[in-house]
Amino acid sequence: MRKLLTTAAILPALWLTPAGAQTINVATAGDQNMVDYVKDFLGPMFEKANPGAKVVAVGTGPGDGGSQKIYEKLSAQMKAGADKWDFDVIVVHQKMAGQMVGEKLLADYTKKIATGAMATRDTSKNALGANVSGFVIPMFHSQTALAYNPAMVKDVPNSYAELVEWTKKNPKKFGYNGIKGGMSGVAFVTGWVYAFGGDAAKLMSGPYDGATKAAWDKSLADLKEFNRNVVITPGNAGTLDMLNRGEITMGPVWVDMFYTWMADGKLPPTMKLKLVAPGMPGQPMYYAIPAKAANGSLAEKFVALATSPEVQAEGIVKKFNWYPGIDAKHLEGKLDPAAWKKLFTDISPDDLAKKGQPFPLGQYFNEILESYEKKVAN
Amino acid sequence: MTSRRFPLSGLLLVAPALAMVAAMFVFPFVLSVVSAFSSPAGAPTLANFAKAFELYSGDIAFTLLIVGLSTVLIALASIAIAGTLTLSETPWLVTALAWLYRWPLFIPFIVAAQCMRTFLAKNGLMNNSFVTLGVLDPDSTQSFLDWRGIVITFAWKQTPFVALLLAGAMASLDRATIEAARNLGASRLRSLIEIVLPQVAPTLLVGLVLSFVTMLSVLSVPLMVAGSQPTMMTVDMAFRINSYSDYPVANALGVISYLFTALAAWVYLRHSLGQERGQP
Repeated sequence: MRKLLTTAAILPALWLTPAGAQTINVATAGDQNMVDYVKDFLGPMFEKANPGAKVVAVGTGPGDGGSQKIYEKLSAQMKAGADKWDFDVIVVHQKMAGQMVGEKLLADYTKKIATGAMATRDTSKNALGANVSGFVIPMFHSQTALAYNPAMVKDVPNSYAELVEWTKKNPKKFGYNGIKGGMSGVAFVTGWVYAFGGDAAKLMSGPYDGATKAAWDKSLADLKEFNRNVVITPGNAGTLDMLNRGEITMGPVWVDMFYTWMADGKLPPTMKLKLVAPGMPGQPMYYAIPAKAANGSLAEKFVALATSPEVQAEGIVKKFNWYPGIDAKHLEGKLDPAAWKKLFTDISPDDLAKKGQPFPLGQYFNEILESYEKKVAN
Repeated sequence: MTSRRFPLSGLLLVAPALAMVAAMFVFPFVLSVVSAFSSPAGAPTLANFAKAFELYSGDIAFTLLIVGLSTVLIALASIAIAGTLTLSETPWLVTALAWLYRWPLFIPFIVAAQCMRTFLAKNGLMNNSFVTLGVLDPDSTQSFLDWRGIVITFAWKQTPFVALLLAGAMASLDRATIEAARNLGASRLRSLIEIVLPQVAPTLLVGLVLSFVTMLSVLSVPLMVAGSQPTMMTVDMAFRINSYSDYPVANALGVISYLFTALAAWVYLRHSLGQERGQP
C-alpha cells in the first residue's frame, strides 16, 4: 500500500518529462526553497553546460517526511528488483541518509568526483551517528537561532536559562512551532534537552543507551511549564509570519529562511538573530545518488557541478543564504566579501563553531520527540 | 422461474465495480486495521492503541470537541440560511443570500485554511478591519489561530453543503402547512421551529453526519490554522508516519477515527431505516 501510494504520488511528475536517456530526476526533500533552488538555479545551469540533458526537480515535502517519501520509493524499487530506479540524484536529511546507507540504497560516489574531497567537515562522514562517508556530500549547512525584534526586545537572552526568565516577564511574546510543524521547533526542543536534560555530548556522539531518556523528565516538565508562557505557532513559516506581524517578538527560525524572508521584504530589515548558549542544532542536507540510478554518470556530473566552489558561492551562500556544504576555504575569492559577511552579521563564525550543534543520534532524536509528545504535548 | 436463476451475466457486469471496491477500498481498509492490531513481529497486540492513548488522548478529545462543536454551529447556521430562503418575505435578501451562500462549497479546505490564516491572525484582515472601523483598539485584538480558527474554518466551509441540502428539502415541502401556521398567527421563527424543521429533520441529520465524517478527516486545516498543541488526530497520524515511519500507531489512530465515523453512520442508518419502516 505504501509503495502504491508513493508511486502514485511521484508518477505524475515523471510522466511530464519527455522520454530520453538524458533526463535526470532530482528528488528533493525540504521546503519549497529547496525545489526552487534545483528548478530555477541549478537545473538551467546544468542544462546549459550539458546540451541535451534535462533536469526534472521533484519536491517531496518538508522535514523528515520528505526524506521518508524518497526512501519509500527507492526501497520499494529495490524490493521489487527493479534494474533502474527512478531518481538519479536525491537530496535528503541526515536521519534518512544514515538509514539509506545502511540498507544499501545509495551509491559510493564521492571519490569519483573532484568536489568530494572538498567537504571534510564531520557532517560529511557522520550523519546522526551513522557512517555515511563516501555516500554523501553536504549541499549546505543550516543553523537555527532565535530571531527577535530589537525595537521590542531590549534585554536579549544569552542562554536558554535566561530565555525562561524572559518569557516569565514577557508572557506570550515568544513563539515556536512545537514539534509537528517543522524543524525549527524540533531544533528548539532539542536545544532545550541539550541545555537542561543532562549529558548533551552523549546524545550527539553516543553511545546509545536506552535508559538516558529517564533523565529528561524534569527538563520536559519545565518545558511544559515554559509552554504556558509562549505561543505555539503553525509551522516554520508561521513563526516568521507572526514575527513579521508583530504578534510575537522572539522565536526560533532557520537562519537561511530568516535572511531570505528579509531579502523578499517579508520581515523588517531591523530584525536580528541570536544563537543562545549552550547552543542550538543545525543540519546539512545531503546530495546522494541512488545505487541503481538510471543515469548514474550524469548524476555524478550534476552533483559535481552543484558542489563546485562557484555554485556553492553564488547559489548556496549568496542567493539562498545557507552556509556552504563544502569547506568554506574553497569559496575564498569566489564570493564578494559583502555576501559572505552578511551571513555572519549576527552570528560570528566563532559563535557558530561553539554553539552550532548537530542533532542527536537517530534513536535519541526519536526518543526526544516521543517524550515531548508524551510529557509536554499530551 | 428463469428470472430467479443465479444471474451470471449480471455478476459479470458488476464484477469490475466490485473488484475496484475490493482493491481500492476493502483491501487497504483491512490492511490498516490488521496493522493497527499487530506488533512489529506480526503477533496480535493492543500495544499500538495503548501508545495512541498514552501520547494522544488529549488530541483525541480535542478532535471530538472541535468536530462536535463545528457540527452544532453548522446546524444552527444552515437552519438560519435555509429558513431565511424559505420563509423570508424580502425578495432581494433571498436572491442575494441564495447567490452568496454556496460560494465556500467550491473552495477546497486547504485554500480556506490559507485564507483563514491571514484573515484570523492577531494583526490579520479581520482585526485590522475592526481597528480601522474603530470597533477595537490595536492592543485588545487577539489571534483566532487556535481551536477557534479550526471551528470557524470548518463551519464556514461545511455550512453551505448542509444549507444546500436543507434548503432543497424545505423548498419541496407542502407550503400549505407553513401558510396555515402563518395564517393562524405563528411568527416566522415559530413556524420554522415547529412546522418546517420537524419535516426536514432527516435531511438535516444526513447533512450533519456527512459533514462530521468529512471534518474528521481533514488534515490541512488543523495543520495550517492552529499550532500543534493540542491538535487533531489527522495531524498526529501524519506525524507518526513522517517522523517515525510508525504505521501501526498511525493506523491505531485511524481505527479510532473509524469508530467515531461508525458511530455517526449508525445514527444515520438508524434514522434512515426508521424512516423507511415508518413510511412504507
